[in-house]
Amino acid sequence: MIVCPNCGNQEMPGALFCKECGTQFTIISRDPTMAIPSSLADHLHEAQSEDAEPVVPPTPDDASLSLFLVETGEVIPLEGLTEYTLGRSAEDQPILPDIDLGPYHAYEYGVSRLHASIKISQPYALLTDFDSANGTQLNGQKLSPHKPYPITHGDIFSMGKMKIQLLVNR
Amino acid sequence: MDDLTFYDRLGLPRDATQEEIRRAYRQLVLRLHPDTNVNKGETELFIDIQQAFERLSDPKKKADYDLQLPPEPKVVSPLNISTYYSQPSLVRLSEPQVIYTLLELNIQPDANLWMSPTPLNISLVVDCSTSMQGIRLDMVKLTAIDILRQLHPDDIFSLVKFNDWAELLIAPGGLADLKSAEMKVQLLQAGGGTEIFRGLEMGFSQVAQFHSNQRINHIILITDGRTYGDEVSCEKLADQSSALGIGISALGIGSQWNDKFLDHITSKTGGICKFIPDGGDIRNSILEEITRLGSSLTEQITINYQTTPVVELSTAYRLQPDPSPLDPVSPLILGYMPRHGTMSVLFEFVIKDIPKNVTPFVMAKGILDIEIPRHNIRTKYINRIIFDRQITAEPVSEAPPAVILNAMMILLLFTMQERAREEMSKGDFDSATRHMENLATHLLQKGEDNLAQSVLNEVAYIRHNQSFSEEGEKLIKYGTRSLLLPARSGENY
Repeated sequence: MIVCPNCGNQEMPGALFCKECGTQFTIISRDPTMAIPSSLADHLHEAQSEDAEPVVPPTPDDASLSLFLVETGEVIPLEGLTEYTLGRSAEDQPILPDIDLGPYHAYEYGVSRLHASIKISQPYALLTDFDSANGTQLNGQKLSPHKPYPITHGDIFSMGKMKIQLLVNR
Repeated sequence: MDDLTFYDRLGLPRDATQEEIRRAYRQLVLRLHPDTNVNKGETELFIDIQQAFERLSDPKKKADYDLQLPPEPKVVSPLNISTYYSQPSLVRLSEPQVIYTLLELNIQPDANLWMSPTPLNISLVVDCSTSMQGIRLDMVKLTAIDILRQLHPDDIFSLVKFNDWAELLIAPGGLADLKSAEMKVQLLQAGGGTEIFRGLEMGFSQVAQFHSNQRINHIILITDGRTYGDEVSCEKLADQSSALGIGISALGIGSQWNDKFLDHITSKTGGICKFIPDGGDIRNSILEEITRLGSSLTEQITINYQTTPVVELSTAYRLQPDPSPLDPVSPLILGYMPRHGTMSVLFEFVIKDIPKNVTPFVMAKGILDIEIPRHNIRTKYINRIIFDRQITAEPVSEAPPAVILNAMMILLLFTMQERAREEMSKGDFDSATRHMENLATHLLQKGEDNLAQSVLNEVAYIRHNQSFSEEGEKLIKYGTRSLLLPARSGENY
């Protein structure tokens, strides 16, 4: 059984698209996700652990959850849905991620087109990696693909080498 | 008939299975039985077939016959057949799986040298009910006159008008008196109801009267309304028509006609069904249809197929030359083959279980028949089609061929709207609108802004009225279908 990463619909093995929402299951390698050399990734990881605790900006009042992009200082509120897909939009991609990180140099950071999802769930949110090219790390730990991991306020995860902190407005 | 083998008489390859022999026989009997056939000399043909069947259906007699059979003559088929699969191999799984197959037919380029144009035997069946009054009927009249003037001397043409009954306006045969024929068309008046069966029946008897496998035999129905109560008769007529090799196409004008019904009728015969929206180009649509028939090589491509018991052919969709869903039953009627160009059909097979130790695993096998006019004589070419895959222990990961992916991507849009329509008919408005919105997103990404806008308008309409607007429903259905046209997909990829 294939479970659609976008809508959770189940399709038979061998299916190429989700009949429910149209997500393509096989990715044509025309625009592959930029591979980050492992040494560089390791280096970044080390650098991150040496980093002092980043300053946590206040969360916007009208959002219970938001994403803080560590490098650029941008805050993206998560509103209206219970589950958000994260990735970057590319041309002729049938399904756009709910949170498009394209404008924040996601390609250069090695973010896949459908990289991961965040599902709002009490008491935590759940972070799931979609078997992305460069993987997802949570607080320095690499996530197994397609397995939801609990994530809470202040946690930093990195998609490729893009670092994002989850902010929860309590 | 002397030089024909028993296999030739039944239109079978020499490796035909008993099941295939029985099927071929049944179909020929339906067509040629002395009680039903109309043409002279076919009783003789019937006897020949009877004789062939008696020999081949008995495995012992068949084996004896096979021994004394001269070696098969080498036939150069003008047809190229290619098959593509979404996966390089299959893996045994504990659950059902799906695989996509694309069948592509091409005429060898040099074959065009010896292929002669096929004359037409067509009947134009025109709805003259009250609603056709005005621009609709005027345009049809003008176009009919255009057609009369452009016909080739070898073509056979008839014109039937119908409302509550049918009337033969122009009888088939030579158009000796063009002036009076034109006059008759000019004087056509609208009035009354729409009884499609009456019109089709009369059109059918005209085409059947001059039916010949040296021609393209076709009925073109032009209507703007719904027929009531005679759907079953129409369906039977379509089956009869299909068995004789007479195609039925329909052009629906405006939003009131019954697209589901006409799609069904026409696809039974390998014909096409087209939507002409209000303000659309009626004249061009009719002329295009005539041109299409004129440039086709044959209307008679069929596949007699059988799937392995654990396999189901769940969908068959013709991508080219005219995008349309096909009824996934054997014999599969593929429709007409253009003289220049390609026919491609996408199949979705659901495999419930793969038996142990079988490789290659045959999903389906069949016989593809095509009749091609060669120096004025139509020759029947029989092609063996096998859909199979090797079974491997581990999945072989390889991107599906681009032809399949591209076709599927657009086919998906069509299936999404079909699904929304189905949900609407069940009263599930929430799912329907959600699917429509998904569809609109995909269309926008394809750069199909107009169609996407129509879909969004329709979503708003549904929220308000809990039903599709008749115009919008057809616009979306035929709009998504036409995305598959080669010229369009060429732009997109």
